[in-house]
Amino acid sequence: MKKYFLYIAIALILAFVQRFLFSKLLILHASPDVLAIFIAFISVSAGQRTGVNYGFGAGLVAGMLSGNLGLSALIGTVQGFAAGFYHVPEESHATSVKKKRMFYAASLTAFIAGNLLQSIMLDPLSLPLYIRMPETVILGTLMSMALTVLFYHFALKKLLRD
Amino acid sequence: MSSFFRFIAKHTAYLYFLLYCSISIMLMQLQRKETLDAIRERGLSINAAVSKQFTDATAIFTQERDNERLFLQNARLFAQLARQQTALRDASDQQTIVANAPPWSGPFKVARVVDRRFSATDNMLIIDAGSSQGVSKEMAVLTPDGLVGHVIEVSANYAKVMPVINQNFMVSVVSDSTRANGLLSWRNGHERLAKMEHVPVSSPLLVGERVTTSGFSTFATRGIPVGQIVRISKDKLFYNVDVRLAVDFSSLSWVLVSMAKPSMEKIELMESPDAPAKEQ
Repeated sequence: MKKYFLYIAIALILAFVQRFLFSKLLILHASPDVLAIFIAFISVSAGQRTGVNYGFGAGLVAGMLSGNLGLSALIGTVQGFAAGFYHVPEESHATSVKKKRMFYAASLTAFIAGNLLQSIMLDPLSLPLYIRMPETVILGTLMSMALTVLFYHFALKKLLRD
Repeated sequence: MSSFFRFIAKHTAYLYFLLYCSISIMLMQLQRKETLDAIRERGLSINAAVSKQFTDATAIFTQERDNERLFLQNARLFAQLARQQTALRDASDQQTIVANAPPWSGPFKVARVVDRRFSATDNMLIIDAGSSQGVSKEMAVLTPDGLVGHVIEVSANYAKVMPVINQNFMVSVVSDSTRANGLLSWRNGHERLAKMEHVPVSSPLLVGERVTTSGFSTFATRGIPVGQIVRISKDKLFYNVDVRLAVDFSSLSWVLVSMAKPSMEKIELMESPDAPAKEQ
């Protein structure tokens, strides 16, 4: 129970970090998504249902800060749901390599799903879909994946082993 | 039916997913409603407040550079202002001193005091007018207020002035109403108080009388104001007279040099022996 409150606190902090730091690291309208990494982590370690719950909650907070309440919540929910397919149950006694692979796969799926939704539904610059979709999906996913690798090595590795 | 419920129980994530997606889509549709607008506004205000804090935090790093730049700009402006104010003040002072030049000063040269040495024993002034400008030794130096002193040394462009407030300075003076003669000199003490000596107790001297240079002076023309009598006390033969000097030496910056040449003949005559040589 204590762990889940900690996750809520981390989700809140990450929503702020995403809004005020990572969303400013724009390259061709795409930015890394730290909140998606967190949702993927929750989904992999705690399951799809929990991932969906946290995804929705984190998306709501991020939406409140960005002004796109519904879209952010939807993206968070979809990310949590998509990443949940890579859930590694505790009783599975999976190796750390497998956990790592599953986490990367979950993150990649979450990024693609999130960026895809975002590029379809959010068009702040009125760019044509065939430009903004590959731009957002490819660049956003690449940047987020780079961040995922960093996060995994410096923080999440130990948590996933436990 | 029971298998359906088992399926639902097993896959609650799908239910949550559908529920949250519905809520999210509903929120997207209702985003223009007032309550949601209020929530969005609140979120945006938090967003703006935090953004402002971020901006303020980063401003700290650039503040030192900005301060340095402003300091230099200030220094430049201050120097410019000081130059302009000095020029303005000099022009105004020069104009005033020329306009207020008294009739008794005759032809004169305006000079600026460029250096001053005031101490308890040795007071001197340096003015920026010298022999190139026609200034020579023993010329009287004054202001519209009164006598300042006399020239004792001259170079090409500068002259040294012995002011009234020098222990070696003496000038013959006369009171303007009772016409009592005396010698004015300055001793250590108050900067603006001088002594009028050799005034016999028989003279009808009065407190408040103005004192001017007399015709006995070797360098000063007659009638230059020197000061005002502020205190008189009797001694055995002579009065002890305190004269408040007319010129304020503490704020002296411009002076007039009287171009009237001192009478060398008179000086030589006064310096000659008092008694005629006895015939052998």
